[in-house]
Amino acid sequence: MGIALLAAGCAARPVERVVGTPAGALVARETIDQDTTPKAELRMVPPEVYMRTYLQLFGGLLPDAAQQKARGAEGNNLFDTWDDYVSSLGFPDYRLDIPRQTQTNALMVAAFERLGIALCDRAAERDLAMLGKAGGPKATALPVQERVIFAFDPAPGAMDEAQFATRFDVLHRTFLGYPAALAPKERAPRYLALYRDIAATHAKTLPKSKLTPDQAAWAAVCYGLVRHPEFHLY
Amino acid sequence: MRWPLLFCSLVLAAGVAFTRGASSAPPATAPRTLDDYRHFRIASIDLLGRMPTRGEVATFERADFDFDRWIEGHLQGPAYVERLTRIYMDLLRLEPNLNFSPAPAQLFRHEVLQDDGKSVYVYYRQNQRRAEPSIDGEFCFAPDETGVVIRPNAPSVGATPKALPKKLLEARTVLVHPWWLYRDYRSPHPLQRFGESWKDPDPQYRPVETLLNEADGKPTIAVHVCREEAQTQDLGHVHTSGRLKNAPADEKLPGGRSKPPPIDKPFALQHKGEPISCDTRSALENSIDCGCGVGLERCIPNDGNGATNAFYFPNKMPLGPGQPLDLVKQRAERWYPYWWSREAVHFLDDLFEKDRDFRQILVGRQSFVNGPLAQFYKTMQRTSCCGPETAFGMNEELAPLFEPQNVPIDLMPHDVETWRMVPDRGPRAAGILTTPMFLQKYATARARGAVLYNAFLCKSFAAENAQLTPSTEPNLMKRPGCQTCHATLEPLAAYFARIEPSSTVFLPATNFPAVSAACRKDKSGKLNGNCNALYDVAFADDKGATLRSAYGSIAHADAAATGAGQDITKMPEFAECAVQRVASSFLGRPTNADDAPLLTALDKEFVASGFRMKTLVRGIIRSSEYRKANNMTSAPAADAGAK
Repeated sequence: MGIALLAAGCAARPVERVVGTPAGALVARETIDQDTTPKAELRMVPPEVYMRTYLQLFGGLLPDAAQQKARGAEGNNLFDTWDDYVSSLGFPDYRLDIPRQTQTNALMVAAFERLGIALCDRAAERDLAMLGKAGGPKATALPVQERVIFAFDPAPGAMDEAQFATRFDVLHRTFLGYPAALAPKERAPRYLALYRDIAATHAKTLPKSKLTPDQAAWAAVCYGLVRHPEFHLY
Repeated sequence: MRWPLLFCSLVLAAGVAFTRGASSAPPATAPRTLDDYRHFRIASIDLLGRMPTRGEVATFERADFDFDRWIEGHLQGPAYVERLTRIYMDLLRLEPNLNFSPAPAQLFRHEVLQDDGKSVYVYYRQNQRRAEPSIDGEFCFAPDETGVVIRPNAPSVGATPKALPKKLLEARTVLVHPWWLYRDYRSPHPLQRFGESWKDPDPQYRPVETLLNEADGKPTIAVHVCREEAQTQDLGHVHTSGRLKNAPADEKLPGGRSKPPPIDKPFALQHKGEPISCDTRSALENSIDCGCGVGLERCIPNDGNGATNAFYFPNKMPLGPGQPLDLVKQRAERWYPYWWSREAVHFLDDLFEKDRDFRQILVGRQSFVNGPLAQFYKTMQRTSCCGPETAFGMNEELAPLFEPQNVPIDLMPHDVETWRMVPDRGPRAAGILTTPMFLQKYATARARGAVLYNAFLCKSFAAENAQLTPSTEPNLMKRPGCQTCHATLEPLAAYFARIEPSSTVFLPATNFPAVSAACRKDKSGKLNGNCNALYDVAFADDKGATLRSAYGSIAHADAAATGAGQDITKMPEFAECAVQRVASSFLGRPTNADDAPLLTALDKEFVASGFRMKTLVRGIIRSSEYRKANNMTSAPAADAGAK
């Protein structure tokens, strides 16, 4: 009986037909100009350049020393080893005939992410030691001219837009190579909003972090720039 | 100035510039547009090898900043050199994934038990000929003496090693102060031992610990070497054992050996008692008085009985050997290939640093060697030769691509960081084309021809859309479906017919005419004697045969790699291709029809300058196309997600 029902069901199914729409029946809804501008792949900063820049931002260290410093002593896994990142960053491997990568992929972006966070956190600890936790290494704060990334003094008290802008300009020049004043107008306010948001959240939730709210906020601004497309493209 | 030093100085300079800017009155600044900043950034990336620092951006903003002068200054720097070398390394990929292990150069070692109960390592070569039938072609102690059968590249067989009497050990071995352990190994009484009295070895020279210590962990002062291997003379003599046939299968083998002793080869019978160079493969197979030379300098050590370790060197060094990411124990057979790659980089670096005529890349006779390469070119390279070549009267390399007498004599095998220019490798040298790295990376004549066509003429082989039908036509320049590519490829391959595949051995026309009457097809259609190894049966008849890979062009085969270099560099496409490669790299995109005016102008300047890359790069960096090549538009785009 089951077989009979199944057969009846199949037989009852109508023949499926796909009916096309005649071309002449399509109605134009909008007319736009053909885009004839030249199209080219975005140009990634070569991995050699990225790595040298990274090492320079770490204070001009050799890869081993930068790795040691990025890993730190507390073992919070900010950084693995260069060996783990080198193929993700797009370096070619001539021995295996693997060409250099000219476009990003998920692993590459993840590697940039991780390297950027390690760089910014370590720089915040080092350059902004005066903002560190009570009992921390405040005495070791470096003179401004010796700070590679956060080469400015913290604002006295709550930071206003003008005070943020001068400090943001230092970071903007460091990572993107031009004054923040030439960037889109909304960029500085957005980063200030980020700064304030992170500082407030960090102060409220007291996360288990080595960084104080101010340090964490500056580190977040740094994350934004070190991951900015303009940093990775040229 | 190499990278690490330059890097530190640049960082220091940046710091100083910043310090000045911070402590004194700000200098006069010039108004700069976003495009100006981006032009400066891309030029920094290309000529400094990194993004500009804040200090450098501040300098750029000064009213007195001279961009042309800045470009000129950085065209002299190592970052520029590295940038240009990278273009050609990306193209040619001259790094090894290969081994170099000719039998006469490889010293293995086995641990034997002495009668005082202590173990000692004894170094030996596989297939070493010895007078005693029980050990001829084997380790210098027979299985009956050691209690074990020693097998190359495999564990020994036998559970109970026997202790060797002291007298036997002394009779069969010699204590040697080897080159890998002593700086002054050529002295009659070497004293400067690695890690002790030899205080300042090059940091990159790092033998593995197991070569520095004995089995009991004590430092090695001298190594036991089988007596034959320890011999030091340059010339030996062809030896015959009198064995002309293999022993019957049921005959008991001498000394408990597992395979019969070697029989005399035709070469030995033909040349019995004649002198033979100890740097050759035939010496290992046919003489008993050729060893590894003074301090064993004709051999490289392995810390075991097979392909085992010898030295530490990096696997990963994306920023060059001065900034390695690792340091790994490496097998002995990888030691020289590692340095071949560095030779290629030094060759290219020099070309761009000194702004030599770029045609030198294919015709230059100069090159660079360090200690290991000096050792390689003096002795090791010669051990690849000769096997079937001996049938043509070439018992040792007659016409090496790198003449051993042109190697600097004062470089020691440990001088890994001292690089010397060799102005003339010899008359058969042809730029990068005759370096071991190129010839091993591109192992066949066709591969060599194809890369020449692609890398230096910017052309590639595209098969026609033809159906391949079964064919017996051996000439691929005629065979339907193949001819489209092979009509071009075979003549290019012919330039490399005189350099053996996967080797640097050169076959001179005196002994190996492109068409040889000495090699003929026999009645069964086969080539006679040793001809089959070097001549092509598909291009042979009863009157003669053609050298392998030469059939595409006999003239090219006789012109050899030097002819290839000269012919290719004379073609207008050579300069056009160099311009296209470099322009495309600096513009960060493939060039297209719209770039034709720029490329034509650059090509004209490049050729007029005598093929100088600095002229070409200067022209590119100052061009409006380069300035516009930036990814970013001149108007700042709104940040994504902005409200």
